Amino acid sequence: MSYYFTILSPTDTPLFNIAFGTSKGGGDGIARFRFPETAQYMNQFIIHSSLDILEEAQWTNGGMYLKHIDTYPPAAAYITAFLTPSGARFLLLHQPPHLPSSTSTSSGLGSSSLLGTAGSTTRASSSSIAANPTSPQTEEAVRQFMNEVYESYVKTAMSPFYKQGMEIKSPVFRTRVTAAGKKWL
Amino acid sequence: MTSPGDAAPVKPPPSFSPGVARVASTSPSRYPGEHETTQSLDAELAESQSVSSPTPLSGTIADLPIRPGSSHSRSGRSSTPQLARSSIGSPFDGRPDGSEDIRSSIIRSFSPTIAVHASEDTDDLVRNKGFKGGFRELIRPFGETVSGKVVIRDSIGSSRAWEDYGVRLADFKGIGRAPASRDSGPLAQMEEVLAKQLDGSNGMLGASVRTKDVLGLPATTPLCKSFLQQLLCSAPTAPHETFGHPVANVIAISSRNAAPLETLRQLYADGTTGGKQLPDWVNQEYLRYYVLVHDEERDDITESIKLYDQMKRHFGLHCHLLRLRSSQCVVTDDDSMQVPQCEWLSPSEHLSGAGEAEALVDLGTDGTPYLFGSDATAIRAFIRELVVQSVIPFMENKVAVWNDQVASRRRGISGRFMSMSRRWAGFGSSSRSSIGGSSGSNSGNYDQTQHSYSPDSPEAVLRKMADYAFMLRDWKLAASTYDMIRSDYGNDKAWKYHAGAHEMCAVSMLLNPLATSAKIKLESVDQMFETACYSYLTRCSDATHALRCLSLAVELLKSRGGSATESAAKWAMRVMDFGLVGSVGQILYTERVAACYASKTPVGAAKWGGRRRKAGMWSTLAADQWLKAGQPTLASACLEEAERLYADVLQADGVFPMPEMQSFVDNLRHAVKVEYLEARGFDTRDEPASEDPLGTEETSEKLDMRHHRRSLVGPPVQLDAGALNTTQGPLHPESPPNDDFERA
Repeated sequence: MSYYFTILSPTDTPLFNIAFGTSKGGGDGIARFRFPETAQYMNQFIIHSSLDILEEAQWTNGGMYLKHIDTYPPAAAYITAFLTPSGARFLLLHQPPHLPSSTSTSSGLGSSSLLGTAGSTTRASSSSIAANPTSPQTEEAVRQFMNEVYESYVKTAMSPFYKQGMEIKSPVFRTRVTAAGKKWL
Repeated sequence: MTSPGDAAPVKPPPSFSPGVARVASTSPSRYPGEHETTQSLDAELAESQSVSSPTPLSGTIADLPIRPGSSHSRSGRSSTPQLARSSIGSPFDGRPDGSEDIRSSIIRSFSPTIAVHASEDTDDLVRNKGFKGGFRELIRPFGETVSGKVVIRDSIGSSRAWEDYGVRLADFKGIGRAPASRDSGPLAQMEEVLAKQLDGSNGMLGASVRTKDVLGLPATTPLCKSFLQQLLCSAPTAPHETFGHPVANVIAISSRNAAPLETLRQLYADGTTGGKQLPDWVNQEYLRYYVLVHDEERDDITESIKLYDQMKRHFGLHCHLLRLRSSQCVVTDDDSMQVPQCEWLSPSEHLSGAGEAEALVDLGTDGTPYLFGSDATAIRAFIRELVVQSVIPFMENKVAVWNDQVASRRRGISGRFMSMSRRWAGFGSSSRSSIGGSSGSNSGNYDQTQHSYSPDSPEAVLRKMADYAFMLRDWKLAASTYDMIRSDYGNDKAWKYHAGAHEMCAVSMLLNPLATSAKIKLESVDQMFETACYSYLTRCSDATHALRCLSLAVELLKSRGGSATESAAKWAMRVMDFGLVGSVGQILYTERVAACYASKTPVGAAKWGGRRRKAGMWSTLAADQWLKAGQPTLASACLEEAERLYADVLQADGVFPMPEMQSFVDNLRHAVKVEYLEARGFDTRDEPASEDPLGTEETSEKLDMRHHRRSLVGPPVQLDAGALNTTQGPLHPESPPNDDFERA
């Protein structure tokens, strides 16, 4: 499972970006996206395009944590969103690992990804989070992660040296997000 | 380009008031033309069209003094040549007329098939007129549109008139015989045709740099449409659907025939016995229609009328006397007219036909033969009489009879009990039909070895009735009939029938204009497409039908609008996932995804529910793929479209908030521009210099103007380069090589 986490300002400007991989089930915490090295911009495209859905979902859901809002089927990328009262949005893109071609061809994978069960045949050692991006366990783990990041974000935003809308450069914040990712995802 | 740090201060979420926010959040000093570029799209379009008008220089003059700031800011960011849009047209048919057009062509693609069986002497007569394919080739283009309105009565008894009704005239000998000679399937052929069309557009592009706007290059929408049309008529005649089975058989003889009645009898016998007969699974209950072709120039009309009267006495009302001239018509003749183009050509016909047309280009003709106006009128009258007086009443009658005799029995309580008992025990089939026996667990009328039902089994008759109703555009009856039989096929493990019934059930539900777009309906429609696609692909590995099914799903759901567009986009992505299409097809479907998302328009004052960002993303991806496929013209059209889509959601024109996206789009724009100009034969070595950072723009305004003034005074030699100059000029106002470029 690979993750790409972004904090967007109300004007859609990214305040903070981080890419990391799962640390559960023997993962080394390094992101391995399905796009080739030259196509890493796709993460940003997918996040940006999911803002369409987010803008719709934020009025229909009362909570701050919006759960899984969007999917990009060709790359089996799932978007989960979290709203803050100040208008900043936390968006997490998660992508199950690319299956080695032992279990299914790309067509079979595409069909199953739409049913929300992509990657269900991944390593047995991996946790349930990695196995199924839309399962309740994953939703719960992402919620914990979002809450923890939100806490750190509030603390960072309260810093007298931080102005709203500025990019977050604080190394402390980065380590905290990394730690939260290690802990929950 | 913008680092996130120096972005504009906080603004309310874009969903509140996008227009106001965008203007307020941009500082005028950095983007001098900002207020202009946020103008409506129409103004921009009009501008670009004026640039590309046949006299580009005058367009330039008119354009420059009015909107200098605008063209300036466009040049900084959106460097795609503006002439691209004007010469290509938009690849997206999100506009209402486009989707109506697609819908109508889907409806017309499911038109009744009429077999044509002509005697040798008739074919000879027509060949004399310059139609190598004989009688069928002569009348085929006229069958595709029946002149005038066609009134069809549906099962409830209400009539409806259709303007665009047509029939497909097929060769009698070709029905049910797969073209085994070709090694590649229809999908591969379609891909080949696509590549050919692209090559053709390239060649034209190279040859017609000067006249590009007059000729009009093949746009992407025609490409998509021709792809869809080929797909819809590429499925071979199969047992499981009866659209390709003949509804009627036209038996034609000519007045030259020595023994006319004997020949007619012979031709009739061909249909039932002998080597030329139709396959077993085709229902033999079709209409026979007799035509006497009279040669106006060589034969006596009184003789023909006498023979015609005799025919009428023998065969009843389904006869027609067609009076044609036997000599060949050339362009210079009085009263000559071009034979209309066939709209529905299968991929293989496209491939063979394209070669012919190329060969004839040298001769100065475009390959289509000519016809006397009187002949054309006679053929039109014949087709109309055939369809309106014979075929439609015959089909209406058949639907009514089958509905009464077969469908109602199946709908009733005993029919339900029968189908249930058949499912659990092995009996029941014998009382319903004589064919087949209880063989194994799935006793029934399904022949496992032939993979077909016998034509008179209730399952096949019901399918035929539903197809007839569909072709008569009575979608309500069709949908209910498909719905009734689709589970039966599953019980018999007749997977192709199963898939076909599910597919057509969903399609007829979507086509039915009276059905409201309730959400429950859409879910069941989605489910049916899913089942159909699974049956086609996994159980029968029939890629052609699967692709047709998914494409119909995409187009029809898209034309529904609203939330259906999202499932349309989903199906289009599914097509790409399954790998049903080749490399060019992938790009076409990428465009379709973008078009699906683009057609979902935001509603309400809050303007939410739009999918502009998604559409923009897919459009950008399509542009990238076109570029990789070596089609910079199409890429630039896609990029223009992406810019248009993104314009609503971005803060400033062409400025993306995400740095990696920004650099990708910038690179793409540059690459498209370079290749585009190279394709048109311009030297682009200096191009990298044109990617000026934003900073220099503030000072470039004056130079800009002077530059253009010079180009106005310039010699009139550069008329055709004038259009380029308008977009090129402001890009690098300070680079001296540009002057050379301009004078070249």
